[in-house]
Amino acid sequence: MGLVDVVRAGRKPFKRAYVAVFLWFTGRAIQAAAKVDEQVRREFDSLPDDFTFSLGVLPDGPWMLIGKDKGRVKYLGGNPGGRRIYIRLAMKNIETAFLILSFRESTALATARNRLITEGEVPHALAMIRVMDIVEVYLLPKMIARLAIKRYPSWTPGRKVFGRIGIYTRVLLGI
Amino acid sequence: MDLPDYYEFCCRVKIVAGHNALEKIPVLLADKGSKKPLIITDKGVVGAGLIDIVSRVLQDRLAGTLIADNVPPDSDIRIVHQLAQLYRDSGCDAIVAVGGGSVMDTAKGVNIVVSENASDLMAFSGAGALKRPLKPLIAIPTTAGTGSEVTQVAVIKDHEKHLKMAFLSYFLLPDVSVLDPRMTMTMPPFVTAMTGMDALSHAMEAYYCLQKNPLSDAHALSAVNMIYRYLPIVADNPLDPNGRLAMSVGACLAGIAFSNSMTGIVHNLGHASGSVCGVPHGQAMAILLPYGLEYNMHKCEDTIVRLLLPMAGEAVYHDTVKEQRPQKVVSLIRQLNEDLHKMTDGRHARCFGELKDREQKPTVPREALPRIARAALLDGASMYNPEDTDYDDNLMVLEAAWEGHPLDRSKVKKG
Repeated sequence: MGLVDVVRAGRKPFKRAYVAVFLWFTGRAIQAAAKVDEQVRREFDSLPDDFTFSLGVLPDGPWMLIGKDKGRVKYLGGNPGGRRIYIRLAMKNIETAFLILSFRESTALATARNRLITEGEVPHALAMIRVMDIVEVYLLPKMIARLAIKRYPSWTPGRKVFGRIGIYTRVLLGI
Repeated sequence: MDLPDYYEFCCRVKIVAGHNALEKIPVLLADKGSKKPLIITDKGVVGAGLIDIVSRVLQDRLAGTLIADNVPPDSDIRIVHQLAQLYRDSGCDAIVAVGGGSVMDTAKGVNIVVSENASDLMAFSGAGALKRPLKPLIAIPTTAGTGSEVTQVAVIKDHEKHLKMAFLSYFLLPDVSVLDPRMTMTMPPFVTAMTGMDALSHAMEAYYCLQKNPLSDAHALSAVNMIYRYLPIVADNPLDPNGRLAMSVGACLAGIAFSNSMTGIVHNLGHASGSVCGVPHGQAMAILLPYGLEYNMHKCEDTIVRLLLPMAGEAVYHDTVKEQRPQKVVSLIRQLNEDLHKMTDGRHARCFGELKDREQKPTVPREALPRIARAALLDGASMYNPEDTDYDDNLMVLEAAWEGHPLDRSKVKKG
């Protein structure tokens, strides 16, 4: 060893791949939920026309972006492409991201434990957290969703079943 | 003991507390290399004669001290920029903030502008925008409530654009806070009551909300003990110096606690009722605190029960049936509000329906409750509340708090 030894972070390929797939799937699910669920649609209606939200991992990704484009909500992949990011929700490292996205810690608890950095206006961030909570209820079985959110909602069976079918179908078809 | 997997805690404010603590200010300024501080305050503080006490202490030791007393009741960005200009033009080298929450926030805003040599304060809004230490700031609170003397937050309003911007950074923590009972002695009983209840709400919400940790808990429990014991004493006898000192220390402890563990539904609905109807913050806290505990009871009963011991002492704790202890905490807070109502000849309101403005019109008309419930959805304090909150939950709590009836806990949604 020389006088200075550079410490490099491990790449952790499994966790990185899990997080990347999760973000890709969630991004497409938010796009789908904005078409299927009335409450998600209302949340996006209250946001600016060029609103863009990004969720990802520090320091070098992966990231996913959701944006409004001519009134439609779109999953924009991982590259902002010059768009103004209104809300950036950054998990501090890949371990934190894995902890949150494997539902061992809720978003609220992760925020309380300083594992997330939120950049942007608070009302916009709260709207996006509500959207993500709804999407998690659609995507996950109740037993797991209860770990991810503060309170499991009491929706009608119709909303849950038809919404879930609609969102999964749209995610798989990418529409 | 609740031990979270991970937490952060920071309070690097030197606290100088006690009778005649103000006399230490010249030494504290000298420690910081300051020869010409700018005192920032408001006309109420000057009118109460409190600035005279501070300037007498300073005049003996410092040749040039500037006093600016034009801070409005609500912090204002124009005043921040004006005071920053005054600081630069006069060659000041430190800031001494003497006042309540608005003065503290204004002083922190001025400190950002002068330290960063900036032209626009708003460029530093949000979290993490400040990257280096600021100029020396000494905080001298004249209320025992806000805890701003030990918090890392400043809220500055842009009245022209109707914006309220928050600034969050460890660099906003004052270097020194001086707690001297002379500075709170002139507060009338009803202001003492609402600022004291503000401090109690900081301590209690810090203790049961999601970001709680062992260090914030220790501060919160000590704060609850001091505030609950001494608030009725100073509301009844404002000139009690020991009671005043205890309240200042209690509010400071509560400030340290909530600055590190944040707050929940009580502050969430309190901020919203302030922005929609102009309800004074401390008054909103006093009214909403029992409802916050009731709303979250099913999620953190075991935590709430631990508040009983520092409030009521061992005898009451042991004499209360175990199952009834959490509810006893709530009823003691309601009783405290009732006592303060009597001590202030009815000026301390127990419910939103009782609140009146100067023209004796209702401050919170019942039809404003839906707007408050909606406004609360835009406030970040909801994030740290143990139970989720939506529009219907907010409205349910607000309606009970308007009537002054206990919350029907069977109607709180659980999932």
